Amino acid sequence: MAYAGSTVHIACAFSIIELVSVLYKNYLRYPDGDPFNKNRDYFILSKGHGVMAQYACLRELEWLSDDDFLNYFSDGSDLSGLSDARTPGIEVTSGSLGHGFSIGVGLAMGAKLNKTNQKTYVIVGDGEINEGPIWEGALFASQHELENFMVIVDENGFQAMGKTEDILNLGSIQSKFESFGFEAITIDGHDEIAIDNAISGLWKINNNKPKALIAKTIKGKGVSFMENNNSWHYSRLTQENYEQGMQENYEQEALSIDESSK
Amino acid sequence: MRDTFSNSLVSLAKKDPKVLLLTGDHGATVFDNFRRECPSQYINAGIAEQNMVGLAAGLARSGFIPIVYGLSSFIPIRVVEQIKLDVAHEQLPVIFIGDGAGFVYSHLGISHQSMEDIACTRSIPNLSVFSPADRFELLHCFMSAYQEKLPVYLRLGKADRGDIHESPLEIKLGQLIQVRMAKKSKYSFIATGSMVTTAINVAEKLNIDINVWSAPYIKPIDSLMVQKICCKSQAIVVFEEHSRYGGLGSLVAEIASSSYPTKILQIAVNDCFSNKCGTYEYLLREHGLDFASVYKKINSFLSDL
Repeated sequence: MAYAGSTVHIACAFSIIELVSVLYKNYLRYPDGDPFNKNRDYFILSKGHGVMAQYACLRELEWLSDDDFLNYFSDGSDLSGLSDARTPGIEVTSGSLGHGFSIGVGLAMGAKLNKTNQKTYVIVGDGEINEGPIWEGALFASQHELENFMVIVDENGFQAMGKTEDILNLGSIQSKFESFGFEAITIDGHDEIAIDNAISGLWKINNNKPKALIAKTIKGKGVSFMENNNSWHYSRLTQENYEQGMQENYEQEALSIDESSK
Repeated sequence: MRDTFSNSLVSLAKKDPKVLLLTGDHGATVFDNFRRECPSQYINAGIAEQNMVGLAAGLARSGFIPIVYGLSSFIPIRVVEQIKLDVAHEQLPVIFIGDGAGFVYSHLGISHQSMEDIACTRSIPNLSVFSPADRFELLHCFMSAYQEKLPVYLRLGKADRGDIHESPLEIKLGQLIQVRMAKKSKYSFIATGSMVTTAINVAEKLNIDINVWSAPYIKPIDSLMVQKICCKSQAIVVFEEHSRYGGLGSLVAEIASSSYPTKILQIAVNDCFSNKCGTYEYLLREHGLDFASVYKKINSFLSDL
């Protein structure tokens, strides 16, 4: 898809693949398989530049088609480089950072007022939490005891122009959210079992607190030349590095099939 | 006008439990009644306007009708991007109330004065912009906003300038209302909000045949009606307590230029911030929007025609 569209932000999508995948596989409930169902859980990708990771899941759910992928970025196509709420399965129009968190807080508050058991998940980037409204929303979620709200921080340590610690050092993200009244935990964001345990563990805690899952991730995870190489925030795939990346992918897949058959 | 606002909020919220009032820690006594009568529908979102608008978008998506209140310097100006992306793009039923528009907070300085709110909101797709002049217009605007179930910015300016109309309005959304009738008039005045009273007073003092219109609906506006006014007028004066860029004056000029080009005088705020502190009347004088300055300007405009 990224190759077909010659798009940027590939590395930003790779850091959240496992997080998004576990959410879709094990948590997000869409009654009747309908992305518009009124009783669905809400999943907001507030770091909308990682949207290709979500598109991949929406393709698996058949809410997007092969054509959408092959024609990515072609004139008159539907999918843009940053998430747009007109796409089935996407809740908010993101790209301008720091919006999705507050909308998620509103959805969680709505579910609470409506007395439904819907849950709201918001993925934010660590760079994104430079934005002030994130912390306004965190205060609100905690004040109103939105225990049905979970923020997942993709802590890959980078933002567009460099390392997060060199730009606006965040320190301990977990303790920041804890001090804002969240129940928080930090895990390896590429370990699907750890992610699964952390999410189910957080939901089991009944203390009226909103939840924060801090996922330590690697920007560009899964492709040797992209991992922790921040130029892949904006680089585009050439035929050569596309083929190299795909080859690595096949090898890893073969390896994991080998291991699981042992 | 403020009582009407306060009372209509309460009666609407009592009738429709999905109506929620969100405030960014503003409103003081306006909401005393609301807090007493509908406490579960009142949310003080704190001094955090950006989050408040996102929150409203989320609540609207889960079936509520949020009414988001703030001073017009903050709602909409501080949160234009949240209104654009989180609410207008999704066509969510959120009503934004921007109070104290214009020079109402004259003593507090430029942070609390807003001359650019109509210009900023008018250019956002899907967002309607209403600017009532008295309690009857306010009620009409407010009920239209509620019934339309679409994003609306409702601008509240100086609220104590008295009634323009005598009874509840029977107009359609977008229509202008004729508030002074002249038989063989070559000139028309179109005004919005606090400046409607000034427009009527100037017309009276000039003592010539002038039609005066009030425009509570800035967007959508009945452009056919505006075209008819342009067609029948040799000159038009447009009044607003707002920047001369992008407000009602610009809007009338846009319509006139593509249908019946007419000479238009804009009575509006020039491209400048307030210089000094003082009363509301003092600042109107500083910006040339007080009765005497306006009268002088129009008198010379009409006599030069």
